[in-house]
Amino acid sequence: MSSEQDPDAALMLRVKQGDIAAFEQLVDKYKQPVMNLVYRMLHDATEAEDVAQNVFVQVHKSAGRYEVSSKFSTWLFTIARNLCLNELRRRSRHPADSMDAAHPEQEDQPWQQFEDKKTFSPPESLLHGELERKIEEAMAELPENQRTAILLCRQDELSYEDIAKVLKCSLSATKSLIHRGRETLKQKLKPYLRTGAWKQPK
Amino acid sequence: MGIDPIYDKLREIIWRRKLSEAEERELRKWLAAHSEIQDSLEMETGLTDALKKLPNVPVASNFTTRVLLAVEREAIAEARGQETKWKLWRRLPRWLPKVASATVVLTAAASAYLYHYSVEARQKDLVQRVAKLPLPNPEILTNFDAIRIVSATPAPDEQLLALFQ
Repeated sequence: MSSEQDPDAALMLRVKQGDIAAFEQLVDKYKQPVMNLVYRMLHDATEAEDVAQNVFVQVHKSAGRYEVSSKFSTWLFTIARNLCLNELRRRSRHPADSMDAAHPEQEDQPWQQFEDKKTFSPPESLLHGELERKIEEAMAELPENQRTAILLCRQDELSYEDIAKVLKCSLSATKSLIHRGRETLKQKLKPYLRTGAWKQPK
Repeated sequence: MGIDPIYDKLREIIWRRKLSEAEERELRKWLAAHSEIQDSLEMETGLTDALKKLPNVPVASNFTTRVLLAVEREAIAEARGQETKWKLWRRLPRWLPKVASATVVLTAAASAYLYHYSVEARQKDLVQRVAKLPLPNPEILTNFDAIRIVSATPAPDEQLLALFQ
């Protein structure tokens, strides 16, 4: 892999030399896929934004050590996954009150409700339709490595080999993770996939 | 996992994207002999479509600006950290490095002298103790050669002794 083969690696080499405009280009290009991955790993919009921001800060901080040995996107998603895993570990050590926990007196109401003051609200837009909600739920129930593998499959620029590098496992193990994850999703979404609901234009 | 290499190859493509016309033809040809797989493959295609249609998570319009500000803050904090270290170093009195070097040299010299002195003292002590011991009587060495030869004879033949018994 050389910087000529991967234009992002060429940009990263410019970042290494202190070119902030090159860094800005990389952030603009990858903020959406990083945010998609991080949000679907953490299921918390505020935390996802903080972690996604931190991913790029880490990229800038580590620029000095960057070597063009593999694709830039592989390196970036590896950083993103590691930060998400750190966050999940931190959560398991310091579990906070769940916003989804049921209210003791009104079972259909959540325990805590907070006004969303932001102009955007990822959960609302994500849960726009019934089918989207079902698939998000099914994805959330998958084990972390299966979910990450399936989410990375959505990134066209990542080959199966690249996904294996991000997940730090062999190619066959990666394909097996995707297969198992998809089998679970197919089971849970059977009625929707069978009706061809997804084939209808929106 | 796999049924056959063609199926595996096509299914791995279906996991990522729509099949090309050539791939579609290959699949139809393969399905002619494996019609029982058709439903499963349709589900695979449906699931890939479903996953592709998941909407993007909204990103704040000022995301890039916030990242750049965070990077700037990190750089300032790092520079301050370096500066503080340098300031602390500069605040040290000028004579301190010279005194530290002299202390190291003196400590090394004192250790070497003490080591040398202790070895010499132990040697003197040993000589004095040995000198006090009485010398053995030379007569005990009279049969020294005979004793050495007897002790050098081969070991007895255990099997032969056992037969005699």
